[in-house]
Amino acid sequence: MPDEKPVPSMSSAGTVFHIQRFSIHDGPGIRTTVFLQGCALSCFWCHNPEGSTTHPVLQFYADRCTACGACVQACPHHAHEFRDDVHLFHRERCVTEGACVESCFSQALLLTGRSMTVAEVMAEVLQDTAFYERSGGGVTLSGGEPSLSSAFSGELLAQCKARGIHTAVETCGEAPWASLADLLPVTDLVMMDIKHMVPDRHRAATGKANDRILDNARRLAGTGKPIVFRTPVVPTVNDTEEQIADIAAFIRTLIDQRNGSAAPPADRAHIRYELLTFHRLASDKYRSLGREYRAATLEPLPKSRMQELADVAAHLGVDTAIR
Amino acid sequence: MSTALVQELSFRERIAMLRATKMRHTEEKWREIGSLDMDDLPIMLPPPEMRKIVRIVSGSGIVISDALFSNFIPTSNHPSGGFFGARACGENFRALLDIHPPYVDPVSSLAGGYMASFLAYRDPAWNPDCDYAHLHAEQNLYKLHHGIGAVQHFCQDMTIGFRLGWNGLLDQIHRYRGVQRDDEAQELYDGLEQCVLGIQNWIERHAAAARTMAREEMRPELRKNLFELAEMNAALVTRPPVTFREACQWMLWYQLAAKMYNMSGSLGRIDQFLYPYFVADKERGILTDEEALFHLACYFIMDTSYTQLGGPDAEGNDTTNPLSFLVLEAAHLLKIPVNVGVSVGAHTDRRLLRRGVEILFEDKTGIPKFLGVDRTSEGFARNGYPIALGRERTYSGCHWCAIPGREYTVNDCVKINLPVLFDTALRDMMSDPALEKNTTVLWARFTHHLRRAVDVIAQSLDFHMDHMFQVYPELMLDLLCHGPIERGRDASHGGVEFYNLCVDAAGLATTADSFAAVEQRVDRERKITWVQLRQELDADWAGPAGERTRLMMKQIPRYGSGSSRADDYGKMIAGLFTTSVKAKPTPHGFNMIPGIFSWAANIVMGKDVGATPNGRHAQSPISHGPNPDPGFRKDAAPTALAITVAGIQPGYGNTAPMQIELDPGLSKNNEDIDKIVDLIITHFDLGGTQINMNILDKKAILEAHKDPSKYPDLVVRVTGFSAFFASLSPEMRQIVVDRIIAEG
Repeated sequence: MPDEKPVPSMSSAGTVFHIQRFSIHDGPGIRTTVFLQGCALSCFWCHNPEGSTTHPVLQFYADRCTACGACVQACPHHAHEFRDDVHLFHRERCVTEGACVESCFSQALLLTGRSMTVAEVMAEVLQDTAFYERSGGGVTLSGGEPSLSSAFSGELLAQCKARGIHTAVETCGEAPWASLADLLPVTDLVMMDIKHMVPDRHRAATGKANDRILDNARRLAGTGKPIVFRTPVVPTVNDTEEQIADIAAFIRTLIDQRNGSAAPPADRAHIRYELLTFHRLASDKYRSLGREYRAATLEPLPKSRMQELADVAAHLGVDTAIR
Repeated sequence: MSTALVQELSFRERIAMLRATKMRHTEEKWREIGSLDMDDLPIMLPPPEMRKIVRIVSGSGIVISDALFSNFIPTSNHPSGGFFGARACGENFRALLDIHPPYVDPVSSLAGGYMASFLAYRDPAWNPDCDYAHLHAEQNLYKLHHGIGAVQHFCQDMTIGFRLGWNGLLDQIHRYRGVQRDDEAQELYDGLEQCVLGIQNWIERHAAAARTMAREEMRPELRKNLFELAEMNAALVTRPPVTFREACQWMLWYQLAAKMYNMSGSLGRIDQFLYPYFVADKERGILTDEEALFHLACYFIMDTSYTQLGGPDAEGNDTTNPLSFLVLEAAHLLKIPVNVGVSVGAHTDRRLLRRGVEILFEDKTGIPKFLGVDRTSEGFARNGYPIALGRERTYSGCHWCAIPGREYTVNDCVKINLPVLFDTALRDMMSDPALEKNTTVLWARFTHHLRRAVDVIAQSLDFHMDHMFQVYPELMLDLLCHGPIERGRDASHGGVEFYNLCVDAAGLATTADSFAAVEQRVDRERKITWVQLRQELDADWAGPAGERTRLMMKQIPRYGSGSSRADDYGKMIAGLFTTSVKAKPTPHGFNMIPGIFSWAANIVMGKDVGATPNGRHAQSPISHGPNPDPGFRKDAAPTALAITVAGIQPGYGNTAPMQIELDPGLSKNNEDIDKIVDLIITHFDLGGTQINMNILDKKAILEAHKDPSKYPDLVVRVTGFSAFFASLSPEMRQIVVDRIIAEG
């Protein structure tokens, strides 16, 4: 591990629900993706439902429970009960202290995330430095929504930049511009979701209209930062040619805006577009959170269909890839 | 059928037909002899009227089923009923060759196939006169795979055969018979001569069979092929090969005979020693790339031995050439378990590596594997050899390298079962009232037993080196080594130049996790006492309370998680093992080289160990090679795995291979392929020595596990070797399944 120089601002804490090393679909090269809890949107298909709240919540995987009863003893709030050998979890009584998690060795009970300092996250992130260097990779902040924890995110990204590590941020775009802008000086690549161009449809699918997101997208394009716009292609939401063409046309205006700007060509970094394939791998997680998974009945799109949609965007002159 | 109307078969069609034939043979083997947790040997069953099924101990020490010729009974030269020594082995091997029917497939450009493993006819395998009862007590205490009686596992120099041909080898034997006149040499020459004569006769019968078949063959291109086979093989009975096709055919005869003699599976740098023939034929206009590809595919159908592609020459320059790519493409075309390794080093050709990764993802057969040639050659130099010699060392077996024709190694045959030593240390500590009970004391006892186990191995190896030539000498490998004929000594008894005996540790993760678990749960947290732990282990975690304790012991930061105590223990154990092996040579002065590798023997080795404090059940498999156990991290990060395995390398030229399973979905485009390439290169940058990489389709594996017969084509990389999934035992299949389940 490289020298741990005493750098200020390593003490901020964020709630991290996952650190994925060897993340290869979240930016260039081999990366470590740090997932932060809390999101301003509530997309019904979300692949990371455990990251939606700002604070950790309890996950209960009933199929892993060995019925040892330790959690019943551990929880002073009587959130766990065994009735006829069936483990009942009373979520309404849970205050997320985590004593039951400590007592559970079968990993039936887990907390979605935990508070980590920047220093703790950096210790994990720096382990893969050799891989970042070899592959042109780095660190990606994701979530949840990283800009919701902007102080923590800013410090973490600054620490990475101080060590010459490439940084990327994945954002849903639903945030005050100032909190996104704060991150930009320490961010090499921004990946922003655009899920729908029609405000009402956007609200129906995600809980919020899209005006702020589109506004942030325009401002972001104006900064000259490299950007990847991304659309999770979800059946019933945005899987038609028209819907993808709408988004791609919007992105095309941003590309034109950037190409036409007075900035020197070196600053007109590339704007790219990615279509993300919907999958249903999150269903276990919804169950563990006691939440309904409204996307459970949606059929993932075949590769050929994704390619057709990508072709639509590409025809509009947008550099498009499928993930 | 009117031949005029039938379109000539293309090479690709002929390869598909050969592959179909091979699958028929393989499926017949599954029916007749069952599962086989080892390399996909292209051995065929003897014809039904000459067939007898038996159980034998393989060259690597595991019990397997085998099919024998019912019409061959070896002649004993000993009251035990066995046959021992070069003369008896040579004579009996020749007798076996004499009854072995020829095998000619009209579709193949090469003749030959083998139906017998000579090892299976040895009963007893060891000469009881060579008694090592004085070593039994400690060999048994530590359950050592001690290496006495180990066969092959080193590499011949094929160019000797290419230069001399069978008659040239006979001439050498005759010439030196007059020079080395002692009894040991004369007996060796008798044995070697019988082998060559037997092989010549066998080839001659193939030539005759091909000629007979040619006369009856209706398809003109196959009739032509059969006449060519007849003519080529009639010539190769005596003279060396001249063309590329002849070189492939000569190599096949040698390898088939070597496999038959003692399962030798080393091939080495095929892209180098075939290259002069490839270039010459192309210059003469008698060979195209497509034809070369066809000959290579015909070869691999019959012999899947271990092959290195590319890699450094003596000066460190890369040797990758167009044939390296063709060999890779031949493996790609066949999609059978061809054991091809691609060299990766500072100066090697990234295009070959990249193509290898593309094929890996496309075929999902675990082929090729990747060789950290810089690390292994530098490591070998640390034994006191020039680095140039290290570069000459060639990948030619599951996890191992050897200098072709010049080095005797017993690679992959000697295993120290670390969990057994841990358990012995724990029992020591618990039974001695004078000892305090804590992890420090446990480590001290473990250290004692590990050093003692290495000493017992060293004595066992000396015993092996003293006696193996009297029991079962390396006749086939002797033929193509520098020295055995000239000196009149078997390779195991002074015939070759270098002796570097491989000693592997196995069960690293099981042991490291066990140390970390007792340190955390017993010493630090005091959640269980030592006495309670011992009781739980003896009861194999019985009952619900036992299961809860087991899960508690298992749920600690594991070896492979990065910066955990278990990671510290992994490094400490690997370091202790390495320094113990390198502390001194064997009492007779043989250099030993440490590696960390269990091969597929982690199943049989697990049966020797009761429950362990890492939450492992009694008799279940120990951890594989130097790998963490599945589930070592929530993200199963390949980078974390790569750092872990790179960090425990013994570093003396023998390997601790990283086994890694990746999801096919990881590679969606060219960019992703490059990221996998970078993962591979960085592992070697960090000190790694070999990578066995599997691209496992979870759904297919899970379904095939339920009913393997529905997926006869499914090939997986088990360990250093790849195999048909359906060939594996249910236990070994479960290990493969566990890997993917844990990695989600």
